[in-house]
Amino acid sequence: MQSFDLTLVAGPPGVGKTTWISQFLANPSRPLFYLCPCAQDAVDFARIGYCFPWVSIISDDQAADVLADLPDQAQVFIELGFHMDLGSPLLVALPGRRIAIVPPSLDSSEWHNWADEVIPSPNQQVSGELASASGKLPTIWRSPLTGQVFDPPSLDEVLIELTGGAYGQVTRLKGIFELPDGQAFYVDFVEGLPGIEYTELKLPRWLEGRPDRFSGLEIVGHNLEQKTIAQALLTCCLADDVLLQYQRQYQQLQLEDETVAAETEPGVVA
Amino acid sequence: MKLAVISCIHGNYEALKAVLSDIEAQKADQIYCLGDLVGYGPYPNEVVNQIRSLEIPTCQGCWDEDIVEGLNACECSYPSQLAEHRGKLAHEWTNKEIRPDVREYLATLPLSLKRDNLCFVHGSPNSQHEYLLPSMDGFAALERVLSTDADVLFCGHTHVPYVRELADAKLSVTVKSPARSDAPQQFQATLKRIINAGSVGEPRHGRPNATYVLYDTDTAQVTLREVAYNYTKTCLAILEKGLPSIFAWRLARGMEFAERADDPTHVCER
Repeated sequence: MQSFDLTLVAGPPGVGKTTWISQFLANPSRPLFYLCPCAQDAVDFARIGYCFPWVSIISDDQAADVLADLPDQAQVFIELGFHMDLGSPLLVALPGRRIAIVPPSLDSSEWHNWADEVIPSPNQQVSGELASASGKLPTIWRSPLTGQVFDPPSLDEVLIELTGGAYGQVTRLKGIFELPDGQAFYVDFVEGLPGIEYTELKLPRWLEGRPDRFSGLEIVGHNLEQKTIAQALLTCCLADDVLLQYQRQYQQLQLEDETVAAETEPGVVA
Repeated sequence: MKLAVISCIHGNYEALKAVLSDIEAQKADQIYCLGDLVGYGPYPNEVVNQIRSLEIPTCQGCWDEDIVEGLNACECSYPSQLAEHRGKLAHEWTNKEIRPDVREYLATLPLSLKRDNLCFVHGSPNSQHEYLLPSMDGFAALERVLSTDADVLFCGHTHVPYVRELADAKLSVTVKSPARSDAPQQFQATLKRIINAGSVGEPRHGRPNATYVLYDTDTAQVTLREVAYNYTKTCLAILEKGLPSIFAWRLARGMEFAERADDPTHVCER
């Protein structure tokens, strides 16, 4: 008989659900699967794929087939966004361990009632309050950016404005952005935590035309001015001719670096 | 004699009124203005009218020049693609808003003003567009002051007020010429100062308050003044007049609208 472990992880935005799951995905000794329902173009999907290429990412339409035919010893992690109904029959029927990650300040919630195990979030400043003062639930706004390359100082500026509330109250922001030197960065912001975190993704440098790999932005918040955000982002993107100019410069630098490296490499003595 | 030096009003009439009231309260004998009367802010005509009606000696700022001559910025004018886009929007709006007599007045403004051992410029003696940043190389900074034949150089343009003293400067110059000995000639410069007046209408110090300086010609004492004003009125006018709403958001936080120089070694090529 085949056996597998299924873990469902839920909690409010910014508590560290993906980070918690990532500690298990880092070990490829067992077949690993990751699913985040209703978030096919989500940044986490791409980040998990980029950081842990050995993990099978399951899309919504594949989920039933894949879950019905898991290999022996498989470990499956299902991340449930705050927008998911934890009481839905589909989720209730899933046989697995239920983990809720919640802010330490939160004593009781639907996540507490649902979970087998409650883990306090390391992000102590996160409130866990979903609704705004007016009682409205937050909006999730996703923008695919695949193929777009950003002017770095413009991107910095627009992220400062976004997270500072210039286009509505942003409680959570995740993004993957391509830069003209061919590098891709993961950007992370949680309201209440200091600063915006930038992490370089260990991907091959893309220096030939527009990158044909996922990049995008995901924002959770209230009263988001989506059209204005989209316009501001578009203003930060490089035009074809500017991108070409940058890529030529970086290709030249890369060539020079490779030449220096080849010259300094110890020779093989026959 | 007590001088008040103001700069970079940028069409912010509310800020100008508050600063003029403060100058009156401080009993200054004479006001000098270092330019950038227009640009970004919603009241360029009103600001110019006020400066003219009070007969304040004023030199031409980079924005004043752009409104007269058209945009022709060096790369130091904009730190990013986003800033350039916003700067151009503000320029186009101001260009349409400004009255012909105001444009004619801006065209008559001198590049520098002199009074005894004091010199007044917008950016630097070289150009209204060049930034004299506080971290600029000491030799280059001294060269700028020496070129004016003054002891104290007042400037603006950076929007952050500062006082820089250039003391005990020893210069060694070698002139290569067949007719002359090429032995180095030594010069000893007396104490020179650069005093940046900050910005009345577009502060860049993290608070919305206007800044200017008072200078006592008898004691050489410098006082940096920070003046609170009703910036929400200016923010509302920005929105009502159809300028980008992000300008209002940034003004309320003491962030620059668009332009900002970061590189103290950059020599403006405008």
